[in-house]
Amino acid sequence: MNAPVELVVNARPVRVEVEPRTTLLDFLRDELGLTGAHAGCEQGACGACNVLLDGRVVRSCLVLAAGASGSDVTTVEHLGTPDLLHPVQEALWRHHGLQCGYCTPGIVIAAVDLLSRIPSPTDAQVREALNGNLCRCTGYAGMVAAIVEAGGSHDDEPVIG
Amino acid sequence: MTAVDEAQQAHDVGPGIETRSGPRYLTGAGRYLADHAVPGLCHVAIARSNTAHARIVRINTDGAAALPGVVAVVTGSDLEAMGARRFDHLLGRAARPLTWPVLAIDRVRFVGEPYAAVVASSRALAEDALEAITAEFEELPPVVGGEAALAPGAPLLYPEWGTNVFLSAEELAPGLDEAIARAPRRLTERFESHRVCGLPIEGHGAQATWDPGTARLTVVASSQQPHQLRSVIAEICGLDETHVRVISPDIGGGFGNKQHFTREECLVGLLARLTGRPVRWSQDRTEALIASVHARAQVHEVEVGYDTSGRVLALKVKVISDLGNPVLYFSGTGPAIVTVANLSGGYAIDRVGWSLACVATTTCPTGAYRGFGQPEAHLTTERIMDLVASDLGMDPGDVRRVNLLPDSPRPWRGNGGQRIDVGSLDSQLDLLLERFEYETWRRRQAGARAEGRYVGVGISTLVQGTTPTQNDTAGRFGSLEMASLTILPDGHVNVKVGTKSQGQSHDTTFAQVAADALGIPAGLIEVRDGDTDALSYGQGTWGSRSAVMGGGAIIKAAGEVRAKLALVAAALGHHLPTEGAIDLDVYARVAAAAWWHTHLLPAGVEPGLTATTVYTPGFTGPSSGRGANHDETYASHATAAAVEVDPATGTVRVLSAVMVSDCGVVINRAIVEGQHQGGFTQGLGTAFLEESRYNDDGQPLCATLVDYTIPTALDVPTVQVVHRPTRAETTGGFRGAGEASIVVAPAVLVSAVEDALRPLGVKLNSTRLHPSVIRAAVRATGWRPDAAGWALRARVPGEL
Repeated sequence: MNAPVELVVNARPVRVEVEPRTTLLDFLRDELGLTGAHAGCEQGACGACNVLLDGRVVRSCLVLAAGASGSDVTTVEHLGTPDLLHPVQEALWRHHGLQCGYCTPGIVIAAVDLLSRIPSPTDAQVREALNGNLCRCTGYAGMVAAIVEAGGSHDDEPVIG
Repeated sequence: MTAVDEAQQAHDVGPGIETRSGPRYLTGAGRYLADHAVPGLCHVAIARSNTAHARIVRINTDGAAALPGVVAVVTGSDLEAMGARRFDHLLGRAARPLTWPVLAIDRVRFVGEPYAAVVASSRALAEDALEAITAEFEELPPVVGGEAALAPGAPLLYPEWGTNVFLSAEELAPGLDEAIARAPRRLTERFESHRVCGLPIEGHGAQATWDPGTARLTVVASSQQPHQLRSVIAEICGLDETHVRVISPDIGGGFGNKQHFTREECLVGLLARLTGRPVRWSQDRTEALIASVHARAQVHEVEVGYDTSGRVLALKVKVISDLGNPVLYFSGTGPAIVTVANLSGGYAIDRVGWSLACVATTTCPTGAYRGFGQPEAHLTTERIMDLVASDLGMDPGDVRRVNLLPDSPRPWRGNGGQRIDVGSLDSQLDLLLERFEYETWRRRQAGARAEGRYVGVGISTLVQGTTPTQNDTAGRFGSLEMASLTILPDGHVNVKVGTKSQGQSHDTTFAQVAADALGIPAGLIEVRDGDTDALSYGQGTWGSRSAVMGGGAIIKAAGEVRAKLALVAAALGHHLPTEGAIDLDVYARVAAAAWWHTHLLPAGVEPGLTATTVYTPGFTGPSSGRGANHDETYASHATAAAVEVDPATGTVRVLSAVMVSDCGVVINRAIVEGQHQGGFTQGLGTAFLEESRYNDDGQPLCATLVDYTIPTALDVPTVQVVHRPTRAETTGGFRGAGEASIVVAPAVLVSAVEDALRPLGVKLNSTRLHPSVIRAAVRATGWRPDAAGWALRARVPGEL
């Protein structure tokens, strides 16, 4: 009854059997203990569960773990550590681009995905790319400025300090 | 601003230090409720009514109980049989009698009301088992909307009351009606704040573990107020408070939605005791949208008397507050009582009176959402100022100037007993108009109108009571905060505080506060919150209170410990001053000696460096015959926004938003600006996007984030914040910053959109400014889109 899942998560091969209805989100959190992707809506609307699947952003709540078999998954845990932040994470921190932190891993993933496609996005391109990520705390201002800066575009928004 | 103000400001606006929690959250290392897996953890799924109003005939759980993985299935009666007690509001005002069980027993009164619960080894199996519960309901007629509930012959939710009015109250100034009748000018209006939901991105949830050895219950809950939640869980579960520990871990947003002490938080405690297993309930998004906490939902019927100078002489407001089914601690009555206490805002109005009807309807309970009754009051005060301006052909800024509280005396005693200690409101408005470039925007508006475009300007002058006592709103809220501060032998400092951060970065700001008070670097200080076993009491985070109360408690504790530092230093032959930065080498020696070299301490000096304090500013309570002051201090914010409305689509673009902020001493400017930006965005969502809608049958129509849309990065402007702090009389001088912008935003946006559509004569008296509403209002004037005109306007939006 269980389905075999074989994939690469954060550069390490994983082989597990799961119930066929298990989502990639639950699989990452419950089977692998990777709790950085968060269940925000489980309806595909908020982006808090974003991960990279073969390098592109997906909602892990809308992907079945069994359906992701054979793929390469990157979660927020693989991008940086508290002591060595990814440039996107570093910029979000300095621009106060987060508050409660619940949507934040999904934002980081969406930004990394954007910068892989458009290395130096404009403010408007960043806003377009974040359109699928809901944040209830920040009002997005610091977040957008941070991602613009991480992409290297000139940005007049002051860094906090 | 005077030179003195500039110097004061430089001192009172702290730097934007990066948040301590940032790196954890950014790397996925935050620890929220669902990140607390323990061995043997079971999951709870809740059976909820699909019907707005029904008598429960019978519930059969046998089929569900027999399914694989199911540990227990319970109804409300089962819980009462094991000793569960009923909830009570403990309101300070007279209301109809009402208690309610953990799970509905005889009747359900809204879609989403819980009536049974399953415990199973996985969430999926628990949800599967819900399908096997069979319940027979005898449908009763629904009641949707506060005014419908008051209509003669309306179906009654609680027939024993003989009415749907749960609470009614009235406070009418002597001579009020006469003053309105005598006034040279009068207006009568109806203003509406529509029903929305606070909606943190992390849903609510709780996880309970019962330890039979110590007979203690530990509940990890995504709660803004762990200590008061402890009281309620203890009451409902029949335990004493020392046998309940509540831990609030990282919280993925609160906004008042997690301020109530809910059925579900008590349910998991009962289920953990019943099953002996650790159990977790994680609210799903549909539960969050239809069965958690809705908010606002007020109608104000307003009578105003004013003179031809624009001065408002008398104000009478009849408030109808839709409570939904008020089976939620303090429900919508709490916010409604705050609304009526704030109806004069920052204005000196001679006579103010109100009546309040809080009514039960067969919809989701209403309750707290950031702003807590103040956005509804502010909509009314600001609409009145705008309508008076419009009637008299005056500038809306000038009308406010006529009515704003004069600069003295301070504190100003309001009609309702308010002790308002804000700075100069006139000069705050002057600074706003200058920084917003008000005259320039009026010129741009004129230019746009000449081209057939609809640009508008709105302003708001808010005086907001912060740090409320709630002593006549809910019986479990005092006006105090607790902190403990200990300097450890290695010189690092443990600070514990009874407030609870939900994204406001208290770990950062309170470390700054303690560092200033002790004269040592913030890097030596760790701040903890959210564990009732770590600190015995506290009041949590809500009502823009944490800097004022938590900060005050920490400063008080630091003062005691610092005095002790100086004593011990002197005993060792050193000097440590009691103000300013201190010598860290001496400090390190004193820290070690106070705990380890106690034989060196002079007689009468107790060893150790620690203090636990309870702080209250002491400004709330009865005030000589003029009502009661409910707020320890007050903040003032003057805000302006410019918008462009597309009358064809009904969409609004915010072109500029400027807020002059006086939240008292600013600890960390980045965090304060983040609060203003975030709150404004939520208020914008209320106006342009959000509504917790029902149909006439009482069925909720917004059960997913596709139906209930909140602002995205594409929808929001960047709010320009101008800091103009004045010190409050509270310890530390803080006034509170968390709610101002969400109180302001709906009112200022209604004002700006109406101003934009002034050439069409559109009148807007509701916070509901969704595109469909604006389109309908525009078309009602006879205006029709002009396709040729559209093509001509294919220029960059906002270019004026």
